[in-house]
This record gives sequence, C-alpha cells and structure tokens, in this order.
Amino acid sequence: MGDILVFVEHKDESVRKVSYEVLSAGKELKNFYSSRLYAAVIGCGVERISSELKKHADFILTVDEEELRDFVSENYAYVLSQLVQKYKISVVLGSHTGYGKPVLCTLAALLDWAILADLTGFEILGEKILFKKPFFGGRIVSHLSISGDTNAVLTFRPKSLKTGEGDFSGEIVRERIEIKKDERIRLLKSERKEGKKVDIQEADFIICGGRGMKSPENFRILEEIAEIMGGRVGASRSVVDAKWRDYDEQIGKSGKTVSPTIYIGCGVSGAIHHTMGIDTSKTIVAINIDPNAPIFSIADYGIVDDLFTILPLLKEELKKAKEQT
Amino acid sequence: MKILTFVKQILDSEAKISLKEDKRSLNFEERFSLNFFDEFAIEEAVRIKEKISNCEVVAISLGSKKAQEVLRTAIAMGADKAVLIETERYEILDPSYTAKVLSAFAQREGFHMIICGERAMDDENGVTGALVGGYLKIPYVGSVVRLEIEGEGKAVAESEINGSFCLYEVTLPAVFSVRKGINEPRVPSVTGVMKAMKMKIPVLEVSSLSPPTSKTQIESYDFPEKRPQVKIIEGATPEEKVKKLITLLREEAKVI
Repeated sequence: MGDILVFVEHKDESVRKVSYEVLSAGKELKNFYSSRLYAAVIGCGVERISSELKKHADFILTVDEEELRDFVSENYAYVLSQLVQKYKISVVLGSHTGYGKPVLCTLAALLDWAILADLTGFEILGEKILFKKPFFGGRIVSHLSISGDTNAVLTFRPKSLKTGEGDFSGEIVRERIEIKKDERIRLLKSERKEGKKVDIQEADFIICGGRGMKSPENFRILEEIAEIMGGRVGASRSVVDAKWRDYDEQIGKSGKTVSPTIYIGCGVSGAIHHTMGIDTSKTIVAINIDPNAPIFSIADYGIVDDLFTILPLLKEELKKAKEQT
Repeated sequence: MKILTFVKQILDSEAKISLKEDKRSLNFEERFSLNFFDEFAIEEAVRIKEKISNCEVVAISLGSKKAQEVLRTAIAMGADKAVLIETERYEILDPSYTAKVLSAFAQREGFHMIICGERAMDDENGVTGALVGGYLKIPYVGSVVRLEIEGEGKAVAESEINGSFCLYEVTLPAVFSVRKGINEPRVPSVTGVMKAMKMKIPVLEVSSLSPPTSKTQIESYDFPEKRPQVKIIEGATPEEKVKKLITLLREEAKVI
C-alpha cells in the first residue's frame, strides 16, 4: 500500500470530529505501511482549518478557491482526483456522511478504484487488511478484503473509530488547482435547519422519544436534556410517522444509525427496526413503564417507571453532573 | 422523458440468518422484500410521469429470478416497463460491480433521469446512485427530499446534507437518490396489480453487460458481539432510581 489521503470535512470553520476519527485510522495504516499520510482540506476560506491539522498528518494539502465555496460533490471529487494523481496516492479515506459519501463515490468512479463503504473498523493481519462492515442492519458483521494492489476509496461510519492524539508535525501545502467547475449542477441555496447543533450521527449524547412520550409537546423536556448534555433528540419511527418529529431525527433501520456514548430511550418499545440503529452505542439506557419492552434486551441500564416522573428528575441530576465536570 | 428507477429485492429484515460452519457464507430463510427506500424512488418516478406528458418509467433490478416480484410491484405502482438483470442467486455484491452493471444497462437503454433509493437495507452501502452518476459522468444529487422538473432538460432537487437543506439546479440527464419523506408511496390499485401480474418481464443475462471482476471480497461473516445483560435499577422512589443511574453512568460505565 502506498500513500494515504484523508478527505477532511469541515463545518463552521473547524474540522469535523468525524475527520479526526478517519485521520487516526490513516495514521494506523501509515505506521504499518511506512507510507505518508496526507490530509486534503478543500473549500473557500479554509486556511485556518488547515492549521488545526498540523498534528494529524504529514502534509496538509489545502485547496482554497472561490469556486469551491458551494458544496458540489462533482467539483470536490475533481479536486481530490488531481491531488491523488499529483501525490501518487493509493488509498483515499473519508467519512460516510452527507458530504463524504457523494464526494468519495464520485472520486472512486472517476479514478475507477474499488470502494468499500460505511466501514466500522479494520484489522491488519500480516499483509492483509480485513475491513469490518455491518450488513442487514447490524445483524451480521462481515470482514472484507481488497484484491492485491487494488487502489481503493474507503468510507467509515461516524463514531465507529477512536480518535487518537496527533503527534505529527505536519507541513501545510497550498495547492493551486484550476477548477473545472461542473456547469451542469449549481447550488441555488442552502439552509441550515438545526442551527449550530451537532449532527445526530456525530452526537455523543442522544435522548430518544417513542410513542410512550404520548404527545409532541412532551418532547420539550427531551430537548432541554439534550441541550444540557450538548447532544440531540432522536425519534422512533412511529413518532416520525405520526408527524410529531421530523424524519431527520428518526433512528433505526429506515432512519439513521447512531453510535453515541450515551443513548437514552424514553418510552421507546425497542422494535428491531429501532434497535438496529442503536446497537453500536456505547451505553444504552432505557426508561419504560413496561418491564417487558424489548428495548430492555439491548439496554445496559433500565428504569421501569413512569417517564413523566423520571424525566424531570433525570434532567436535574444530569444538570448537576454536568456542572460538576 | 424516460426515467429509470433501480429497485432491489433484499432479504426481509425478519428473515432468519445464520452462518455456515466455515463462516464464509450465510444460510437464510427465503423471505424477501422490496428495499424500503426504493418504494419512494418508484413513487417519485411515477409522480413525475403523471405530471408531464410523454414520459416512460422503466424499473430495473439486478438480482435473482425471484427479484421479478419487486419489478411487479413497480409495475403495479405505475411503472411502464420492467427489466430483470439476472444473477444466479441472492447475495451481497461488490458495490462497484453493481453500479457498473446498472450503468452499462442505463447507457444501452437511454434515459433522462435515474431515480433510486438512498440505500439498500441489506448491504447498507448507499453508494449505487453516486457511483452510477460517476461512471456515466453525469450529475448526482443524494438524499433528495424534493424533486421538480423545470422546463426543458432541467430539474431542481433539494437535498439534505448533514442537517443542511441544499437546493440544486441540475441539467439532465442526472441521477437522484431519494430518501424517506419525499413522498408517500401509494398502495397499488387493483388494476395496477392485474397489469403487473400479466406483464412479461424481459430477463437479461448479467454477462451481456460485460460485468467487471469484483475487486473486493467478503472473507468471513460473524454475529456482532452480544451486549451484556441489562441492569434494571431498583429503588424505593423514582429519585433513588435516577440517582443510582447517574452513579452507574459515572462510576461503572464512565460515560459522564
């Protein structure tokens, strides 16, 4: 395996946490293969972002162009393909997110490389690397390999890799690339829905409401708890189908797969459709009045009691706990 | 206007799955269903067809003989034609293999739009649409929540990217992958179902589309690690239970 390039994602002028996760995977591969680790920062006004990465890669390739202000995956993929050719990269890594996925797929097609997507880890076995990937909603885990010297694009599921300490003294390289802007696709406008809240797939704390929440108004206390913890509110499918919450909060098979450090399910029964989306969470807490709710078979801790008594108490205790730290 | 929609038959989420002894392959109960997200793709294609004149919707599936079933669902929902690209059996395929075969078919068939679901629930890759766009060198928009045809050869697509809603204007031909919420898929009408049952579905051999060799392999399968048994927190009062929970989260799980 030759040199490695990580596609760095950024938001609000800083590097997204998912990219640190991928950079630490890059570092592990780099150490094993004694190759070089490059980070690619692409966009407009991104120079300050590059300086955040000095400890995380050998070279930070910065492409800062007005034409890249709007996110158009075709243009980003084109820039990456130019970097790949210039630096003779043989593996490109990124996150399996709304930004990473279209850019890296387009890149894999442009370069005609192999692609493995939504990986949750890897294992180095002699000369071979086995990549871990869940199938069938996490019911089965597979171990995948790439043939011989095949160059590849790999995307990793957010929060499935550990972030490590950076110990590089990386060099920032300003790249000038003439952008062949794809005229067939144009961003007309972009609107941030969630303000500055963390993405649900990146959140360390998720408190999820199910039918047991009884009404959309009752989600307010979940919002308050999420805010105290710097996390997000999630929703079960039935709650989304009933239009109590938006689809982008839906967790489970037909929604999002999340892996927070703490997941708290409130009045969530825990049908397989839902638990498929949470079983990679670190600690699962379930609060439900029904001791036979299936969610207890996947939870680490359970409270069998009335939600509306527990939640205000939980809010106060979490607030105290947060203030102590 | 010609719209292609890719539909996939997947192992039903309730089907029993077990590992063969060598862990290199799976045993599964023969229960299949139409991939959840593909229903939204079929519905969206049919809605466009209903809005404009002279529009044809063609559903395509890469799968085993049994995958004809999902193509019949597409016909019942309003697609005009269906084509099965037949593989030997149901299995998880390399993502670029799938995308190359579908691209080769699309190129041969001709089209203005390709609409597909944002991911399949068996392999969970969610990359086919973007790869097809890349192989065919045409624009791609993913996670589409709204799609409108704008005059001659243009479409406007709203896409949800990490919590932002981005509105793109796209020159056709192009590929769109759609997510839940873009529409409410219809229940097929009786006449639709009758039509679907009678329809002859042409079958193409994969080999006729010069499939590439897969560059990735599945070496083995495993079950995920089981989570430990739940600890139900007992306490005389709700206050006590909550206090105990916080202590456990702090001292045992070490997560706060």
